[in-house]
Amino acid sequence: MQHVIIFGEHQRGQTRKVTYELATEARVLADVLGGKAHAVVLGSGAASLAEQLKRYPLDTIHVSEDADLDKFLIDPVIDYVEALARNVGPSVILVPNTMYGRDVGGRLSARLGAGLTSDVTEIKVQDGKVDCVSPKLGGLAITTCTFKNCDYAIVTVRPNAFAVQASGGSAEVKQLEKPHAGKSYQMVIEQDVEEGTGELGLEEAPVVVAGGRGLGGPEPFQTLLRPLAEALGGAVGASRAAADAGWVPYSLQIGQTGKTVSPPLYIAVGISGAIQHKVGMRTAGTIVAINKDGGVPIGEFADLLVVGDLFAIVPELTKLVQAARAAHA
Amino acid sequence: MAGLRPHHRKARRVKIVVTLKVVPDPNGIKRIDPATKRLVRTGADNVINPYDEYALEAALQLKEKLGDTTVSVVSMVPENTKEVVRKALAMGADDAVMLSDAAFEASDVWDTARVLAEAIRKHGFDLVICGGLSDDGSTGAVPGALAEHLGVPGLTNARHVDVVDGKLTIQRETDSGYQVVSGPLPAMVSVTMGVGEPRYPSLKGIMGAKKKTIVMSAHGDLGVNDALGAAAAKTELLEVGVPATRAKGEVLTATDGAEGAKLIFDFLQHRKLI
Repeated sequence: MQHVIIFGEHQRGQTRKVTYELATEARVLADVLGGKAHAVVLGSGAASLAEQLKRYPLDTIHVSEDADLDKFLIDPVIDYVEALARNVGPSVILVPNTMYGRDVGGRLSARLGAGLTSDVTEIKVQDGKVDCVSPKLGGLAITTCTFKNCDYAIVTVRPNAFAVQASGGSAEVKQLEKPHAGKSYQMVIEQDVEEGTGELGLEEAPVVVAGGRGLGGPEPFQTLLRPLAEALGGAVGASRAAADAGWVPYSLQIGQTGKTVSPPLYIAVGISGAIQHKVGMRTAGTIVAINKDGGVPIGEFADLLVVGDLFAIVPELTKLVQAARAAHA
Repeated sequence: MAGLRPHHRKARRVKIVVTLKVVPDPNGIKRIDPATKRLVRTGADNVINPYDEYALEAALQLKEKLGDTTVSVVSMVPENTKEVVRKALAMGADDAVMLSDAAFEASDVWDTARVLAEAIRKHGFDLVICGGLSDDGSTGAVPGALAEHLGVPGLTNARHVDVVDGKLTIQRETDSGYQVVSGPLPAMVSVTMGVGEPRYPSLKGIMGAKKKTIVMSAHGDLGVNDALGAAAAKTELLEVGVPATRAKGEVLTATDGAEGAKLIFDFLQHRKLI
């Protein structure tokens, strides 16, 4: 494995931050391996994302806005990436460890006969071998895996784990040719429905403000948590109790059977912090909790637990953050 | 055309296969022994991977809706987890295939998907339903890889699954909402917990499960002749480390909203997070 290919995930041209993290890491890795750093960006909006990516130290950015990429689920995407990988030759393929990225990674593994390591937070190269570090079992263990018996390695990278550095960009943008021209695809995307407010994906938000049973209903997620999350430039999440009660969609649920997040800052509001929630957020940088009960489990691992009335504290905190942001702007 | 009543013709039987992994109970107490680097479980049993219970629930809901449908479980697990697999039968699955062979040990994503695909193809299927992740390995990559190995459409992250006249339609969860995606059968679907809370086995179900068939299948039964497990795997575990445990932080009491907000704000500023 010599080259590096990053999969530039985006939603209709709206870039995901993790894509820039991958672009930055790709250069580091390609230099150590003595190869080239490629990016592949597909679907409607790909050309504008390619322009953004030109600020990063990549060698080539491969683009296609083939209509099939948006009309059919994932198969055309995999065909494009597979064709590019075979053209580039033995390589490490970095994809974000998101719902979509995991899907892409698994399929490429089957197509390319590639090894796959998941949720990676650090990549080390020793004597040409690529070793990947990932937290497993909800952060209970840290594993290091290497690749063998394969020409291609798929690494699904945890968002927020790698730095972003936009410099040294001089990449060439190339249009990809359609692989398997004339092939018909079967999984039709019939509708694309927006439910949220177009906020950042939970898994890559730099700040997560999560609410639990203590919020008492769906409204405080909108009236209390969302303004605080917006002031902090983050996203709203929830505990399973809140999702089970139907206060928020399951896509916001953090913890076992939900999402795992690792933001620099996690604010838990009215969440007790039982083990099934803890496994989804304990690798966050800083954890702050607000709860009326000083004896809740989250007090055992939060960096700060403020015992008090969340309905009084959160609006005041939002005001302080907004004022600080305004003073800086 | 004697004997054919076109308007009352029964739909073809739908064969559903649910993939099922067995994992250490997520609610059990687990720790890594720093000396042996192995997982130590105290008082924790093996359970059905919680995500796969949602897959089974989705399958059982379809069976109830469609009528003439069979739900089979295919599980790549050690032989001693038979009673865990039997819980799936108690919940309502019709039968199970256990792929138990030392040769499968230390399989990675690529190999697991390949072996499951062989077994599922051999069993026959119209629809394969998977959980989205496993609670222990949590690569989340097996469903996609499985669809590729089976060579069928793979519709992932479904929060709702429906089959009408042999056509599959799902609501596929995305980060900002959902997509409606449709495709033909045979196909593979992976589900999220949006499909609904998995049912508990009824007493009748538990009694009935004792009479249901669990077929034991080994390496040689599958017709996979090349290397398997650790020998075929394309990844290798080099090291298991123990992360630094999070220390208990400060616990401060706020008498009113302004005081609480100030405590947090000052803390965040001190840590340069604002």
